[in-house]
Amino acid sequence: MARITRRELMSLLGAFGVVATLGGLAFGLPAIDRSLPDTRPVRADEPYVIGAGVTVVPPTGATLDVTVTRPGGSTGTALFRLGSVQYQIAVRPFDGDLRAAGERLRHRITATSGYQVTGPQLRVATAGGLDGLQGGYSAPGRSGRYVVFVADGRTIEVTISGADLDLGRSLPQIEASTRTLQTDGRDR
Amino acid sequence: MTAAAVRPSAGGARLSALARVPAFWVVAALLLAGAIRMAQLAGRLAGTYPIATAAAVVLFGLLTVPFWLVVAELDFLEREPIELLVLAFAWGGLVATSVSIPASTALEDLVAKLGSPHLAADWGAALAAPSVEETAKTLGVVAIVLVARAQVNSVLDGVVYGAMVGLGFQIVEDIVFAVGAVALAGQGDQIQPVIATFLLRGFLSGVWSHTLFGALVGAGIGYLVVRRDRRPAHRLGAALLAFLGAWASHVLWNSPLLGDGLGNGALALLGVLLLKGLPPLALVLVLVRRAHDREADYYVERLNKVCDPELITEGELEALRSGAKRAAARRYAGERAGRAGRRAVRRLQSAQARLAVELSQAAAPAATYDDVREHRKLLRELGHPEAIAGPRSWRHTASTIVTTVVAIAVLWVALSALGGA
Repeated sequence: MARITRRELMSLLGAFGVVATLGGLAFGLPAIDRSLPDTRPVRADEPYVIGAGVTVVPPTGATLDVTVTRPGGSTGTALFRLGSVQYQIAVRPFDGDLRAAGERLRHRITATSGYQVTGPQLRVATAGGLDGLQGGYSAPGRSGRYVVFVADGRTIEVTISGADLDLGRSLPQIEASTRTLQTDGRDR
Repeated sequence: MTAAAVRPSAGGARLSALARVPAFWVVAALLLAGAIRMAQLAGRLAGTYPIATAAAVVLFGLLTVPFWLVVAELDFLEREPIELLVLAFAWGGLVATSVSIPASTALEDLVAKLGSPHLAADWGAALAAPSVEETAKTLGVVAIVLVARAQVNSVLDGVVYGAMVGLGFQIVEDIVFAVGAVALAGQGDQIQPVIATFLLRGFLSGVWSHTLFGALVGAGIGYLVVRRDRRPAHRLGAALLAFLGAWASHVLWNSPLLGDGLGNGALALLGVLLLKGLPPLALVLVLVRRAHDREADYYVERLNKVCDPELITEGELEALRSGAKRAAARRYAGERAGRAGRRAVRRLQSAQARLAVELSQAAAPAATYDDVREHRKLLRELGHPEAIAGPRSWRHTASTIVTTVVAIAVLWVALSALGGA
């Protein structure tokens, strides 16, 4: 059997060093990330800035998922959690009408394997007078609701999902929160 | 001093030779793991958006060709073995990407958790992506050193391997981003978002992206490996500085600085691209030029000792020193002896470069001398016996101006199409 030279041994050790560093990046960092909580409390008595000039008053008892929430000048995303129920609001630039925005959101929902939209879309409005479309969808082990608004060159997409029982319990609070959505009225 | 900057290798890097190095099998296992991971991702993307995924693969695959040719041409005199170039590209596209996806997400999450979602939205991509991606790509050049140290024999070699790792990363990342844009658009399996991503990431940002950052890191690793005449601390410091340079360039590119632009319109957008991209590009170009010149001086010195005008003349030695002069010599041959003359000069230059490398290793085999003489004979038959740079012709000047105008026009259209104007 051929003997391994000192140089080969050093290069082999170096290669294991490379593997260890890659392992630290691929598994170590995610492990540290997982060890810290994803959510933090959020006040339910004042508007929360989602981004792109859009605000919402969060539901009572909700926490904010900081791993998904990303406020910005022209876009913004916020994810609130109420137990197992996820309440996500995404704001993006958009130059179409409400029907097109609804169609786009439905496309995105059904692009995920196992997700299906259910029933017709209904007209809804916020307390501030934003018109929107609301519909439902189902996913494996979960049900969902979506609402979409178009205002001042942006679309506000709301998706709510959770186990049937939890969703039924949280939906009234979330719908009340959705009605508080407001824009700053500036064109983007 | 020049001799210390170039350390010619004794052997090649055929797969059979690499297979005898134990570290190669560790690297091969990493490549296999990366390939499986990226194949799973590609399968998911292609399953949901087959047309968009195919379009992204074709467009960015085509974009790879000019980048590859330019990077491979950087070291004309002592070309890197194709096996190692493929290995470097595969590392960038398979290993560095598959590691960076979960690691960058985790680091950005940590910025949000330890700071705030606002900090993560503004600076998350600027802090997480460069830290993770530059490390993963640097390890690709380190892997090349571990499996074929003899093939990293100048700073320029490090630049080439680093750029290839960066190119692999850039192309695969662009494909993933392009299909991601399709998903975000929510219009089904459409190719418009792919084309927009191609214009933005491939065309406008492509020049000052991962290939450039990789080249900078590669220069540092090349220096660390080759300049054994310097103290270890000095070499290590240079490698760290190069890594820091690549990291800082990447941070600047991803940062929200100038995020609102210099106003509206294509010119303002172009201004931002230049302000963020030009400093690292200029730095790498200066580095490449210096590294190339040092290497060229070393090999031309070897050829100078031959003292046989049948093998290389004074004028050809001068032309061989610089990429611009080599190209000028080919153009001149094209003007005087047509395409055959152009091709013959290119082959003569390649044969002379091969001879220089072999002379630096040991006595060159007779076949190499015969090869050079054969190409000289062909050139003489074509009525253009010497491969020297000719006087600057009006055709070349006109062609340079037209190419520049066309490039600016294409850039303008791309910027306008992306909403800059």
